[in-house]
Amino acid sequence: MRYLRAILFLALAFLIQPASAANDPSLDDHSLLTADVQNYIGYGAIVFALVLFIVVMLVLLRTFKVLTRIILKYEGQTEEQIIAELKPAKKEKKPKGEVWNKLLSLRPLSEEKDLLIEHEYDGIQELDNPTPAWFMYLFYSTIVFAVAYLLIYHVFGVGQLQYAEYNTEVAQAAIAKKEFLSKAANRVDENTVKLVNDPAVLASGQAIFKQTCSPCHGEHAQGSVGPNLTDDYWLHGGKINDLFKTIKYGVAAKGMPTWEKQLSPKQISDVANYVKSLHGTNPPNPKEPQGTKETDDDGKQVKKELVSALVK
Amino acid sequence: MQPEKFYYDNKIVRNFGIATVVWGIIGMTVGLIIAIQLYHPAMNMGNQYTSFGRVRPLHTNAVIFAFVGNAIFMGVYYSLQRLLKARMFSDLLSNIHFWGWQLIIVSAVITLPLGLTTSHEYAELEWPIDIAITIIWVIFGINMFGTIFKRRERHLYVAIWFYIATFVTIAVLHIVNSIELPVTFWKSYMVFAGVQDALVQWWYGHNAVAFFLTTPYLGMMYYFLPKMANRPIYSYKLSILHFWALIFLYIWAGPHHLLYSTLPGWAQSLGVAFSIMLIAPSWGGMINGLLTLRGAWDKVRDDVVLKFMVVGLTAYGMATFEGPMLSLKQINAIAHFSDWIIAHVHTGALGWNGFLTFAILYWLIPRIYKTELFSKKLASFHFWIGTLGILFYVVPMYWAGFTQSLMLKEFTAEGMLKYPNFLETTLRIIPMHVVRSIGGSMYLLGVIVMAYNLTRTALQGKLVANEAAQAMPLEPVHTIARDSTWHRMLERKPIQFMMLALLVILVGSFVELMPTLTISSNIPTIASVKPYTPLELQGRDLYIREGCSNCHSQTVRPFRSETERYGEYSKAGEFVYDHPFLWGSKRTGPDLARIGGKYGNSWHYNHMMDPRLMSPGSIMPNYDWLLTQTLDTTTTVAKINAMRTLGVPYAPGYEKIANKDLDKQAQGIADNLAKDHIKVKNNKEVIAIIAYLQRLGTDIKANKTANNN
Repeated sequence: MRYLRAILFLALAFLIQPASAANDPSLDDHSLLTADVQNYIGYGAIVFALVLFIVVMLVLLRTFKVLTRIILKYEGQTEEQIIAELKPAKKEKKPKGEVWNKLLSLRPLSEEKDLLIEHEYDGIQELDNPTPAWFMYLFYSTIVFAVAYLLIYHVFGVGQLQYAEYNTEVAQAAIAKKEFLSKAANRVDENTVKLVNDPAVLASGQAIFKQTCSPCHGEHAQGSVGPNLTDDYWLHGGKINDLFKTIKYGVAAKGMPTWEKQLSPKQISDVANYVKSLHGTNPPNPKEPQGTKETDDDGKQVKKELVSALVK
Repeated sequence: MQPEKFYYDNKIVRNFGIATVVWGIIGMTVGLIIAIQLYHPAMNMGNQYTSFGRVRPLHTNAVIFAFVGNAIFMGVYYSLQRLLKARMFSDLLSNIHFWGWQLIIVSAVITLPLGLTTSHEYAELEWPIDIAITIIWVIFGINMFGTIFKRRERHLYVAIWFYIATFVTIAVLHIVNSIELPVTFWKSYMVFAGVQDALVQWWYGHNAVAFFLTTPYLGMMYYFLPKMANRPIYSYKLSILHFWALIFLYIWAGPHHLLYSTLPGWAQSLGVAFSIMLIAPSWGGMINGLLTLRGAWDKVRDDVVLKFMVVGLTAYGMATFEGPMLSLKQINAIAHFSDWIIAHVHTGALGWNGFLTFAILYWLIPRIYKTELFSKKLASFHFWIGTLGILFYVVPMYWAGFTQSLMLKEFTAEGMLKYPNFLETTLRIIPMHVVRSIGGSMYLLGVIVMAYNLTRTALQGKLVANEAAQAMPLEPVHTIARDSTWHRMLERKPIQFMMLALLVILVGSFVELMPTLTISSNIPTIASVKPYTPLELQGRDLYIREGCSNCHSQTVRPFRSETERYGEYSKAGEFVYDHPFLWGSKRTGPDLARIGGKYGNSWHYNHMMDPRLMSPGSIMPNYDWLLTQTLDTTTTVAKINAMRTLGVPYAPGYEKIANKDLDKQAQGIADNLAKDHIKVKNNKEVIAIIAYLQRLGTDIKANKTANNN
């Protein structure tokens, strides 16, 4: 038995040691098993050892019982005496609900008349029960909590009050965002935006337009609160870069909202491209031209068939 | 000594009982209507008097002050007489109290839909009604103390301690929260502004819950529960401990309604700490109630009245545990401004106040009519449909609150808000709102069944208007035995008792209110924040009249999700001219603190005419009457003068040229709208409200976009 446990222990130690060493890349080559597999074997061994421990304990208990029986017999006790000796001491059974009552510090109902206070109000009597112990502990612990809370935030200065908490939140988000954007191809801005006529881009742009732009610019960009976006006239420039900029930062004086908080750079690029693609579609009920006339000097002519297909 | 014969006044109890049931049905029906408006805006019936912003205060006032208020008076007038072995002090005062209170409610029903409101939550009624409330409350107090003085019972029972605390605290709360400067007969400005006004309002609002919805009901529980169950109160010691702890601690907890606002950090933390300490004292009442039922649980199985009491006490326990949890900042950050809070208050209101009221009505009406309850089956039906109704109400609202709050806080990996459009989150929770209104209808149906049941009960019996009773007169004080404890002695000295209770509630009030109201460093001023122009001021009053703050907050909390969505977080100095503050407590729509300049004037014009033109699917009602109604500029002079009295730095004599400035600014907006082919006269209300909205939050707005023009 002892040997078996010693062997097991050694095996365990052996298995765990390489698993923890796996973090060191220089040792990787020396191990036959991957770190994951070694870890699983390690966990299995721990569970196995625990189960084994319980089994061993049960076996030992049984052995002691048998030994006691033999010794008692040797001492000349009768079979009845031995059985009585080996029987586990039986606890006296408590009446039902007593544990519960103890927990709540309740006295048995039968003792109630000793607790009655002599006064009564319109037939209502009161009992002289103490406040339950658990209730007092609850009360004290909330007081401790309250004191600790005030100390943490206002005396020791450990806890962050709202503005410090906000700065932490924003700083953490900025790091996470930078990390993500450095990986993703989402870094387009008003200087790098390109005019494209990829149907996927235009479809995405159309979806955004429908949701965010059409309330003011009309369903077909014919203009209503905002200007017509299909004609040759532009208030803030008609190049793709200008469009991107206008959408991103908005034009507060004219009521065009800032969208950079609501649309990602990719989405702004998509919707700017979609708007460019609408040029010359001549929708019904157009708003009168606003701004200056500009010729389409982006160099690429958008395919009209594609646009008309999308508009439908 | 001979026992004295006297009569209990049951008629006044009956009157308050009828008023309870009638106003209960009205208040809950109004609640149901506005609940449906939240997914079916047409339910506002297309007119301004029944739109959500005006009617929601009517719902809250009707259920709190009419339904619960009358129920309190019913319970107090019944139990007080019996606990003191005396008839009410004066039948005349009882009747003035009853009719005066009903008149106040009727005036609320008239003025609130007319848009006459102070905008202070649960204290919306304008100054003439505030005065009337004060008078009636004092009459109630005189009547109560008069009865106490002519009592035939030496010591005051625990129920009466709670009644005394209720009386004195509500008086203090009502007076301080109603300090307002009248401008016209139906218009006043709050004396405090911004953060200070917010603190006063939520010190009041929170303790209205404590001392109008909780302490009088605990008092009634202490009388009616032992009577119903025929059991002694579990622990007299617990009564003493939780009574004093409750009233002392409750008064401090108000600032937990203003977490993450511009309220000074120390005041917020006090609010949190004291809210946590409230758990045990609040539960003391529940424990003492539930343990009083010890040995009577077999009765609960058969007796519908006790069933109502048990569910009511349990709801009280749940709500008073949830409350402290909600005041923890981490939880509050999610729950505040969301439907979670609606679920929380309705657990308390429907479960605790509603069910206790029903239990008392079912128990008391047959007794004063000397008959049996007409139908136990109907009462049992009421119990089950009411319980189910509460569940159907609160579960979807918890769900909705969670869903919307988490959506509003969600970011994409690119660091953008996942749901930048607020409306998207609103539309997502509409199914929950539909289920909520079903739950509400079930609860209301139960109340209607109860009304029928009680009417039949009354008809089959006969009111014992004056119930005969007899008791020994009080023997002279010097002959009585010494009291065993100091508290026992206090129980026979009502004035000292009241003074001590007053002292106890004033401690927290002073510590929290005084520094914020008097020390200027608690509210850092900002030089660029200027008073409103006359047109903006008039627009602001329209915003108050329409009750916009019932759905829109005006405070950006320092969370990344909010600064991304709305702009820079709010600063205390921005609100120094806001008499009253308009932060709101619920975001059914988006925050408006930085709405100024976000959209064009024509966007706002179209949005007021029909919100769905600009935001398809929006649940905001049309405000088309603003387009046609003419702005009342006759009040401008009085308003400028009143604001100057309150410390807003308008130049001397400015009131004389204020209307000229107003016209000029209005014309500018009208001209701007004309550019977008919107023809509107410059004297319409919509111009004023656009002016106000375009001003909001712009005083300190960063000038990033200006360079781009």
